[in-house]
Parts: sequence; structure tokens; C-alpha cells
Amino acid sequence: MTHHLRELCRGIEPPSQRDSGAKRAEVALPGSAVALLPDGHSRIQSALNPAGVEAAGIENLFWWMVAGTTVVWLGVMALTWHSVRTHPESFNRRREAFIIVGCGAILPTVVLSILLVFGLSALPGLVAPAPSGSLKVVVSGEMWWWRVRYEPAEGQPIILANEIHLPVGEPVQFLLESDNVIHSFWIPSLAGKMDLIPGRTTRLAVTPTKTGLFRGVCAEYCGTSHALMKFDVVVEEKEEFNRWLAHQATPAAPPDNPLAQRGEKQFLANGCGACHTVRGTNAAGVVGPDLTHLGSRLSIAAASWPNDSAHLRRWIADSDKIKPGAYMPKFDMLRSDDVNAMAVYLKGLK
Amino acid sequence: MIRNWFKVASAEGSGDARSLLRHWILPITVFCVALGIVGVLVAASGVIPIKASSGHWAITRWFLQFSKERSVATHTLGLKAPPLDDRSLILKGAGHYEIGCRPCHGSPELHHPRIAHSMEPVPPYLPDTVTRWKPEELFYMVKHGIKFTGMPAWPAQQRDDEVWAVVAFLLAFPELDAEEYQQLVKGASRTTQQHESLTALEPGTSTIVVESCAPCHGLGGNGRELAAFPRIAGQRAEYTAESLKAYARGDRHSGIMEPIAAGISSERIQQLAQYYEQQKPASPAAARDRTTSAIERGQTIAHEGIPDKDVPACVDCHGPGETPRNRNYPLLAGQYAEYLTLQLTLFQQHQRGGTAYSHLMLRVSAGLNQQQIDDVAQYYSSLSSPVAR
Repeated sequence: MTHHLRELCRGIEPPSQRDSGAKRAEVALPGSAVALLPDGHSRIQSALNPAGVEAAGIENLFWWMVAGTTVVWLGVMALTWHSVRTHPESFNRRREAFIIVGCGAILPTVVLSILLVFGLSALPGLVAPAPSGSLKVVVSGEMWWWRVRYEPAEGQPIILANEIHLPVGEPVQFLLESDNVIHSFWIPSLAGKMDLIPGRTTRLAVTPTKTGLFRGVCAEYCGTSHALMKFDVVVEEKEEFNRWLAHQATPAAPPDNPLAQRGEKQFLANGCGACHTVRGTNAAGVVGPDLTHLGSRLSIAAASWPNDSAHLRRWIADSDKIKPGAYMPKFDMLRSDDVNAMAVYLKGLK
Repeated sequence: MIRNWFKVASAEGSGDARSLLRHWILPITVFCVALGIVGVLVAASGVIPIKASSGHWAITRWFLQFSKERSVATHTLGLKAPPLDDRSLILKGAGHYEIGCRPCHGSPELHHPRIAHSMEPVPPYLPDTVTRWKPEELFYMVKHGIKFTGMPAWPAQQRDDEVWAVVAFLLAFPELDAEEYQQLVKGASRTTQQHESLTALEPGTSTIVVESCAPCHGLGGNGRELAAFPRIAGQRAEYTAESLKAYARGDRHSGIMEPIAAGISSERIQQLAQYYEQQKPASPAAARDRTTSAIERGQTIAHEGIPDKDVPACVDCHGPGETPRNRNYPLLAGQYAEYLTLQLTLFQQHQRGGTAYSHLMLRVSAGLNQQQIDDVAQYYSSLSSPVAR
């Protein structure tokens, strides 16, 4: 319970501070996805801005906890005040015994018991699986990015990366896996966090209630670039979501301009397909993220950088500087016009 | 006065050992400091000869020899030689001996080359002395060199495997006569029959091919039958040229190849890389212990990688396949399995180095275990070499 509280408290900071924090991030990481966002979106990663049934329950619990502990705190302060103000000549044994037992033992026990029962009663709802037939999304924690696999009721699974779209108002069943180290899957605005544990599949049910863009993060230290292991979450209307998913399931369209065509050739010639899949081409690697529709994503490098050809170019040539320890090797030995062509090709994979 | 001092000393000494000690501390210290000052003055005066022509005093020679033997013995405690009676290892060591060692240590035809004969100490003709050393001790001396003798350290300290190859040759050296020695170090290349495509090369480049490349890699680039040397026939010229430049810069580590590559100009490197690309790869050599099941396992790794271990497929860079690839990536089909195994092992140990592309292999190789390395090497060696694209 306290663990949860501590996590939740991270979201509480005065708006002014939060804004300056966002600005700081912009200065330090000019390409940070924060810079992409129009004003008013600075709360995309806040547990106090719930946009899902589960997050709303947790926020509710949080405020009850704050209220309950405030009562206990006020009681303790009142006792302290009373004890220093009481003169020996006016000391009344019965009255003091009543105060000590009443405020020191009975009041906290009652308040904390109520909070405990209240908190525990919230648990079953949070750990319950989504109703059968719900949309199933398998998320694997990689180092340091997210492999996302939509498993529609009929048809082939659709393998994507670092961006999750959800239909508003429908429960979704996340199945969480890892084959390397422990990660933790957390979309503060939608639900609580859930660990990804090697050798196990953990579950998390989420029911988004508001459309919009939200930010998910890895909430368990998992190595050098843990802090850059993020993902975008888009909650949208059902029809829009269906259109998106159907498009993501299609193979990549062949590049339609000479520069992008050259980029595709370079992409294949330099062996990028050993790690990455671009459906519809020979590139079928599964070590790194699927890039079939990379150009349609909101950001690159696990929501670390904006998705444009300039940043793609820097990512290809200098991956390690952008994401220390990244498994993706840098390709700074390639001719810069070849790298540029590849960036244009990848950005064109809508 | 001095006599007086001795008298006092002996009188005191008979009574109290501690005061005797105290009495002697000062004179001994003064003596040592004075000795040091005199030594520096003598050296500064320049009268000590450092000329090699006059040799050492007998006692100096004995002391240096004694120190060397003791140091080598102590520093090789716990070192264990790998199996060295391997023909391909001997061949590899022989190729380097001819270029790197013979100028000082001689050959069966000329035990003491004239210039080296005037060194102090004179570099020994090794068949006379190798039997006095253990293989581990030879390894230590070849790898680290010997101070004050002119014996250099191995140019690539990362490559113990090459040092062991030289040791393997040294152990076989005493058995060789002049003819066998020539056969071993130069192979068929010494018959200098003109390879038809050699005549198309500039004379300077064809000389380099005949004298520097062919003794080990063959005039046709197919190596020496045994897996001692990689096959370079048909290899993409860009890869060969960039590798030679990396050797020359010391970026790819090899005590054998670095000195050779460093002596070739970059124009000549381009020419001989193109010459070898045009050579026809011979039919693949059968690896030792080749098995069908290993080749099948290797094929799966080469074409699909090992996703669980983050090992990508080999074919996306190295072929075989129809997609045109970057010509800086080496073709592997038909290469000696032993060579491929060694390269992957060196990549795993971060000891290989290479061209500007070589870092791509560090994470790739990290996920492979020994068996998987052997399997994938066997798969590639079982393929017939394609013509480079």
C-alpha cells in the first residue's frame, strides 16, 4: 500500500514546477517527446489525471489515504499541543488516560482499519482479469523498448513496438512478459503498475475512459537506458482504433520516391533486416522492434525522440549517444547521404 | 682516528648488540650513498661502454642469462600450453617466422644473418636452443619479448592464439632441413610460376602478391589447404582492402598481418584486393569433424538467428542470398570453419578489432555459445563460395 502511495506521490508537484521540469527536459533533450506536445498535454503521465477506470480507483484511494492520514496527523499534533500545555496542578489522571487511550490507540486503530479495509476492497477490482473476449495485448519488455503484440479474436497476431492504441470505454487485457530482466509496465493515467517478470506472464486489465495521448514508462530499474524506456498510449474511439489496427496489420507500402527507394535498398544492403522486420520486404529480423509502420508512430527510440527524418538520421548514425547501452549498433561509418536516404525511407513507412 | 673508532666500536660491541647496530648505521648509510654518487658520476662521465661490438663481461653475461631464465620460469607458473602438434598451427607460425623472426634468428640455410650476428647478445639460431625451454616459456618470450636484447614483444598483445602458433612452429623447427623449411614457409608460391592474372598487375603490386600474400594465402587466394590461413579468393575487394588498412592502423589485431599490411601503400592495397576478388574460389575444404547435423543447426542460426539470445541472422549481411549487400561485409561461404570459429571467438572476447564495421559483430557474437559458433562456422564452410557481388 505504501509502495503504491509513494509511486503515486511522484505525480504531485505544483504546476509551475512541473512546467519548468518539462522545459528543463526540452533543454536537456531537445528532441524529447515533451517538446512535441501542445500546451495542456503536460499531464499525460500523471496518476492524478486519471483517464481509466483503474486509475480513477487508485486516485480515489489516494485521496482517501490523504484524508485519513491527515486525521491521524492532526490527532497526534493535538496530543502534542495538549501535553506541553498541561500544568502539573491541573493534571487529571482519568482525563489524561482517556485522551491517551482514545487518541493514541483507538482513533488511529479505527482510522487505519477503515483505510485498510477500503484499500483492500479496491484490490480485487485491480487484479481481476478483463472479461473474456476483451482485446488482448501482449507486451514484452526488451532492453530498452517495448514489443507489443495485438492478438485479435480472429486473424494473425500483429507485432508492433513502443506505441499502444486502445479503444475508449472497452476493457483491455494486457499480458506482460520479459525474457531478460524485470521491467514494470506503467501508464499512470490509465492504471497501476505491473511488473514484467522473466519466466512468468503477469496480467493487467485496463479500461480507458477518456480519449487522448498518454505516456507509459518502465517503472522498475532495468539497466543503463531504463529512463529512456517509454511508450506512447493513444486512446481513441472504437472506429478509429479499428482503422488503425487494420492498417498496422498490413504490410509496408513500397517506397514511392527515388530517395526512399534508395533508402530501402540501403536498409536491406546494410543488414538492418537481421534485427528488424519490415513486413512486405526481405527484412524479417525479430531481435529489434518491428518497423513496418514506423513512420506512423508518434516518436522513436521508445518514445525518447520525435519521429522525423532528422532524428531518425541521428538515431541510425549515433544510437549509442542517444540511448546509452542500446543494443542497436551505431552506423556512423555509412555515407551520410545513405543514412539520410534510410531515414527518409523509414519515415515514409506510414 | 679511524683506528680509534674501530676500537671503540669493538669495545661497545662486546657489551651491547643494539648499540653496536646504532654505531654502524651511520657509516653504512654514508657508504651506500657515496657508492650511488660515484656510480652516477661514472655513468655521467660517459666512460662506460654501451657498444655491442665488445660484448659483455662473462659475469654480466651469466647474470643476465640467469635473471632471464628465472624471470621466465617464474612468470610462466600456472600457464598451460594448448595442444600444439597441429599442422595448421605450425604452418601459421612458419609463415610469420619467415617474415618476422628469420631476419634475426636465421633459417636452416643461414643460421646467423650477418647483421643480427653483430647484435649483443647474438640472437640464437633457435633449433639449437628451443629444446632448453618449455612451450609455455617460449610463449612468454615470444609474447612479451626480452628487455635489453632486441627481442620485441608480439605486436598484437590480444592475439595469444598467434603466439601459440609461433611456438608450435618453433617446437617443430629442429626437425626441419632446408628444403622442408622452404616448403613450410612458402608452399607452392616459391615455384613462382606466373599466375595468368598476375601479369595484369603493376609490377610492384605483383611483387607484393608473390612475396607477401601468396606464401600464406596462395597466388589464387585459396590458402594452403589446411585451415591455417583464410581463403581470400573471390572476397569483396572493399572488405579485403578495408581490413588491410585496419591491420595497418592497428585497428584489427594481428602480430602476423599488421606488420605486412603496414608496409603496403593504400593504392597497392586496392589493387591487390581487386586481384584477389577476381580469383576463383576453390571448392570448399571439408572442416575437421564436419557433421551433417552441425551444418543443419548452423544453417538455422545463419538464416534465422537465435532470437532468444538477441542473435540476428548472419545471412542478412554475409549472404548467401539474392539481395545485394554492403560490400564492406565479408562473404563467408566456403571459408575455413576454423578461421570463422576463431574470428567469432575473438569478437566475443573483444579482441578482434577490424574495420569501421567490426563493432556490429560484438553484440551479435555475444549471444553465441561454443557449439553454436562451431555449427555456424561449419555451415558456412560447407557452402560453395559464390562470386562476390
